[in-house]
Amino acid sequence: MRTLVIFCHPCRESFNAAVLEVVMQTLTEAGHDIRLRDLYSDGFDPVMSAEERRGYHDEGTNVLPVQSHVDDITWCQMVVFVYPTWWYGLPAMLKGWFDRVWLPHVTFSMPTNEEGARPKMHHIKAIAVVTTCGASWWLSKIVGEPGRKTILRGLRALCAPRCKTLYLAHYKMDTSTPESRANYLAKVRKRLSGFGK
Amino acid sequence: MRILVLYAHPVETSFGAALHRQVVSSLTSAGHEVDDCDLYAEDFDPRLSREERLGYHDLETNQGPVAGYVQRLQQAEALVIVTPVWNFGYPAILKGFFDRVFLPGVSFKMKDGKVAPCLHNIRKMAVVTTYGGARLRAFLVGDPPRKIATRVLRAIIKPAAPISYHALYDMNRRTDDERKSFLGRVASAMEAF
Repeated sequence: MRTLVIFCHPCRESFNAAVLEVVMQTLTEAGHDIRLRDLYSDGFDPVMSAEERRGYHDEGTNVLPVQSHVDDITWCQMVVFVYPTWWYGLPAMLKGWFDRVWLPHVTFSMPTNEEGARPKMHHIKAIAVVTTCGASWWLSKIVGEPGRKTILRGLRALCAPRCKTLYLAHYKMDTSTPESRANYLAKVRKRLSGFGK
Repeated sequence: MRILVLYAHPVETSFGAALHRQVVSSLTSAGHEVDDCDLYAEDFDPRLSREERLGYHDLETNQGPVAGYVQRLQQAEALVIVTPVWNFGYPAILKGFFDRVFLPGVSFKMKDGKVAPCLHNIRKMAVVTTYGGARLRAFLVGDPPRKIATRVLRAIIKPAAPISYHALYDMNRRTDDERKSFLGRVASAMEAF
């Protein structure tokens, strides 16, 4: 499968970077055709500018400031996100990638008086989220997992109607142990290896 | 009250900008002292940097890169957020304010690996926002931005502090009258804040 991996963490020596390594290995072994985007090392700017916002609805030209990223999301059949969950949500860097790249006309058609917005990313048939959370599983559920829902419900609604989803999280990162982290990496390897097929 | 208004929209002629002006003027005319923090105008960088992440838990130094924002947050008695909802979340520039400024020692303390919220100077909160999606769609998605306000932020600020959430949905199909009426509702809510 053509698979886009979006990595978002400022530190290459972090546990998230170890997760990315396992993700890349697993996908490679499973025979995926992979593109990797490392938003921090690419120096991506997550802030949608005034000029971009003014031209947000202009078909054809709204993609110009982020053309290569738009090419990625129109190319791929699967997206894998690797990021830390901060304040129950996506890091600003990753949120900005959605804000700037998932544009109208490309990813959805604008609503009219007759009908609502229509999804246009039907070529994306699988989305995986691989993340770390400071909070426990329970607390994340009580809060309602805004980050998970932004991706696996909000974004997924723009993809294929039966788009598969996978959500893997290491909870309670602040009290994690070498053992819990190793177990999590093994789980990522296991669950991701057959995912999307 | 001393109120910190956090505002996130890049375009001066937008409806978001009109909401922002209304919020600031209504709060001011009601006698509040408003600290108007326009994240775009102040060119706030929402990216938590490598250095910040490495020093995140160092209580001596972690506030350094955002000291001015920390001070404004800690001096406030109430918080009013004015923002559009983009892709079922806050714009990156606002999300980054939480990532970078809501630090250990500012909005929470770490006790035995657990988070203990401590932004108790904020005794009242309101969110004024607009959604592209219809209300039903936002509900089906789980309304992440509403949960950030009514669950995540609620847990950080003073316990039992009142939170009001003012939202206009389905923005692309709203008429002038509907926008005016929402602006009016926001004005009354802020005058009574």
